[in-house]
Formats: sequence, structure tokens, C-alpha cells
Amino acid sequence: MKHSLSLDGHAFRLRPICDDDADLVVKLRSNPELNRYLHASSNRVEDQLDWFKSYYTRAGDYYFVIERRQDNNPEGVISLYDVDEQRRAGEWGRWIIRPGSLAALESAWLMYRIAFEQLGLKTVYCRTIACNRKTVSFHDSCGISSRRVLKQHAEIRGEKMDVVEHEVDDITWKRIAPRLETLAKLTVRSLARA
Amino acid sequence: MDERRIQENVIKVLQIILQEEIPNGPGFTRRDSEAWDSLKHIEIMFALEDEFAVEFTEIELAELDSVAKIVVAVQAKQ
Repeated sequence: MKHSLSLDGHAFRLRPICDDDADLVVKLRSNPELNRYLHASSNRVEDQLDWFKSYYTRAGDYYFVIERRQDNNPEGVISLYDVDEQRRAGEWGRWIIRPGSLAALESAWLMYRIAFEQLGLKTVYCRTIACNRKTVSFHDSCGISSRRVLKQHAEIRGEKMDVVEHEVDDITWKRIAPRLETLAKLTVRSLARA
Repeated sequence: MDERRIQENVIKVLQIILQEEIPNGPGFTRRDSEAWDSLKHIEIMFALEDEFAVEFTEIELAELDSVAKIVVAVQAKQ
């Protein structure tokens, strides 16, 4: 949906996606290094703009560009969607970061901060294709112990796949946030050396 | 510090952070370990900086994805 949420971190920020970012999304989603576990999508910018039109009217869907604070260059995208106001819960995903970027950790930390601190959610979950082991491991490494496997939950290019769901509640968030922020601060140190 | 000693210490750091054995020494790469994810990568890089009293640039952080590459980078900074 059209929203105005944004949040600056130490090296990166999340800001609302807009039509000007259609080309970025197409490039990320059509990169064979990045799209192995994504649902198939069109490579045409016009189709992405059509998708945005629908997204802008969809309640509870917050799509962001991850960009560097230093120069505003985009490094990827991330979303929080299916936000249920009654349950105060939402899912995050559509998480794609350009190869070689160091934005993964800080973008996840910023996403959780928006969910818990700006939107006041009580629970945030993330579903990852089980074969995407590095990303599953990332969520494990964050210290998220609440996880379950959803058998044959997703279909990618005609193939049914298991999904691993990691769930973070507001209490877990308070426990894991300081470590994520510490690592984000360390990352910005290296960016300053470049 | 000589190359062999650097390699031993790199492997020690990887074993501690990944919590797994490093079976093929210098040939061990990020692809060989499911646990070497982007969060662990940051932890590894900063543990290596502390271990060897060196500093890696952003590009190095992104590219140092094997024991062999790390050893070469550390050697070059000493």
C-alpha cells in the first residue's frame, strides 16, 4: 500500500518503494543469482508498474527499498505484508539484496524495528524455502528459536517445496535486537573504510 | 606470522563461529558450509580483524569467502 514509513539505520535505510524503483525490482528479480527461490515474475518494467498499482491499494502491505544512507544508492528490497491488525501480526519477505552487498543484516534489523516499534506488532514471521539453506541459517543465526517446517507449502516454478517459518514475538525481539544492532554497527565501520 | 600459522588461526576462528569442523583446510569455502550465512560472515570477518589486528574494506568483506582468500588478505596486511 502507499505508505510513508521509513527508517534510517547505521549504514542503510528503508524507504517506501515507488514507481521509479520498478526497474530496480525487475533487475533484482531477474538476476539468476538471486531468483532461484522466488516466484516467477515478468522481466518487463511495465508489468512491475502494473503490480505496483495493485500493491498501492492493498492494505497491510509495506514494500521498501533498502538504500545506503551515504549516497542513497539502492541495495535491495524488503517487505512486510499480510499485516493483521486484529492479531497484530505480519509476515516479512520479498527480501532481495544485490550480490556483494552488506545490507542483509541491517535491513532485517530495520524491518523488525518498523514492525515492532513503528507498527506496534506483537508477532512477525518469515517463511523461507527450506532448500534456501543460507537464508534459513541466517534466521537461525539471529537467535530465533521459534521455527517450524510447513510441508509442501510453496510452489516455485511448478515444484512443491517445504518452507521454514521463523517467528519472532515482541519479547524475543527485545532479546535478539541488541546483537543485531551491534553487528550492524560493526558493518558500518568497514563501509567507512572503503 | 607465517602462512601456516595464519591458516591455523583462520580455521580456528571459523570453527568457533560456525561450530563445525573445517575438513579441507585452505580449500574450505563459504559454499561448503550451510552455517556460513550473511550474519555469521559479519561475525567471522570482525573476529578475524581482532585475531590478526587488521582491517578489511567493504569490498574485502564481500569477497573473502574462503580460507585461502582470507589467508592471502591477512598476509598482505601484515
